[in-house]
Amino acid sequence: MADLIWLHEGALRRTHPVFAAAAPGTAAIFVWDRARFAAGHVGARRQLFIAETLAELEIEIHEGDAAVLLPQLVAAHGANRLLVPASPDPAIIGQIATIRQAMPQVAVEQVEDTAFVTLPREPDLARFFRYWNKARKSALRPHGV
Amino acid sequence: MTALVGEAAAADETASLKGGRMAAEKALAAIDPIAYAASRNHLDGAVTRLSPYLRHGILSLDEVRNHALASVADPRQAEKFIQELAWRDYWQRIYLVHPDRIWNDVESYKTGFEASEYDSELPADAVDGRTGVACIDQFIAMLYETGYLHNHARMYLAAYVVHWRRVRWQAGAVWFLEHLLDADPASNNLSWQWVASTFSKKPYIFNLDNVAKYTGHDINTRMADNRVLALSYERLGELLFPNLEPAHG
Ligand SMILES: Cc1cc2nc3c(=O)[nH]c(=O)nc-3n(C[C@H](O)[C@H](O)[C@H](O)COP(=O)(O)OP(=O)(O)OC[C@H]3O[C@@H](n4cnc5c(N)ncnc54)[C@H](O)[C@@H]3O)c2cc1C
Repeated sequence: MADLIWLHEGALRRTHPVFAAAAPGTAAIFVWDRARFAAGHVGARRQLFIAETLAELEIEIHEGDAAVLLPQLVAAHGANRLLVPASPDPAIIGQIATIRQAMPQVAVEQVEDTAFVTLPREPDLARFFRYWNKARKSALRPHGV
Repeated sequence: MTALVGEAAAADETASLKGGRMAAEKALAAIDPIAYAASRNHLDGAVTRLSPYLRHGILSLDEVRNHALASVADPRQAEKFIQELAWRDYWQRIYLVHPDRIWNDVESYKTGFEASEYDSELPADAVDGRTGVACIDQFIAMLYETGYLHNHARMYLAAYVVHWRRVRWQAGAVWFLEHLLDADPASNNLSWQWVASTFSKKPYIFNLDNVAKYTGHDINTRMADNRVLALSYERLGELLFPNLEPAHG
């Protein structure tokens, strides 16, 4: 089974668990998506910061609409699984849905980052301190266990 | 790739914090959770400037926390710092579960005004950094020059825009997103809502004494240059929120 990794601007490091979830040596791709950057108000300074980070990461970069390019790139790489760092960004979530529809034969999996805290159940998010009261103990332990 | 870096660099030559994992690790190695707890409220305090690296996943909250714990004898010495990291985790959780809260008022304003009474655009003098309120103009200049602001400066600017200028928080949030290096829809927009009172019990306001307390000599806190801030909280409350019952006690 051949994998491909789609790294986006919320997960720009080689130690992200998405790399461990993929077969060794799997290629990672970043799509410089001007339309998504514009919609997300990504200014020039942040674009430079992201570009500097990518330069150090030494990964494949393509320019265009991620939702359109990724099915093509998956095919070009002969991959049958696309791994993506999990993101709360609705724009990225929407693109993942579009990609899934475009290539139903390919598994598209989101990989969570290492957890900051471990909670027995979904915390009450109404106010910060309700969350913190439940999260504190775990947050003060290495690896949040 | 080099072309992209060049293009972005041409658009902005003033960025101060560099991207990349190497720069991130250097910033991480320099953190001091004990000094942080003692001084983080001050503009020249031992804050970490890790936010752009955390925002872009160049560092994870988990590894930053682990590093902080490893640098102290007792976990409680790192608690204040780890609690601030937890704010990021908290906002990200809301983003995932309630994406609609990023651009919509979570609750109504508790300022005595309806949302419709706020302007939907930033005034030109604020965009230009020429409001005539000296410290505010300095904070705006910092934002433009460095893409970074201390948490207090963000709170001051947000409160000034929403409460002194009566502008909807959404307009201010877009402004910050366009200029901050750590621009994050959840941390930014929900913090704006917290200041505005659409995601908190009451509006956040400050006065010139507060600015003077937390800033150094590089910030102009002369009364004559910051008239609209040079008032007591009671007086500011009356001026900014005339429809509210005066607070007693
Ligand atoms: C109006 C307003 C807008 C903001 N916009 C953003 C934003 O776009 N992106 C962003 O990352 N933070 C935002 N913040 C939160 C906070 O001001 C910054 O995270 C912090 O100032 C970054 O500097 P630092 O890395 O030196 O922080 P430190 O004090 O050293 O904290 C360490 C890390 O903890 C996290 N953190 C600390 N305080 C907060 C907080 N209140 N909310 C969320 N995370 C926090 C950050 O990731 C930060 O890097 C905003 C706050 C306000 C009041």
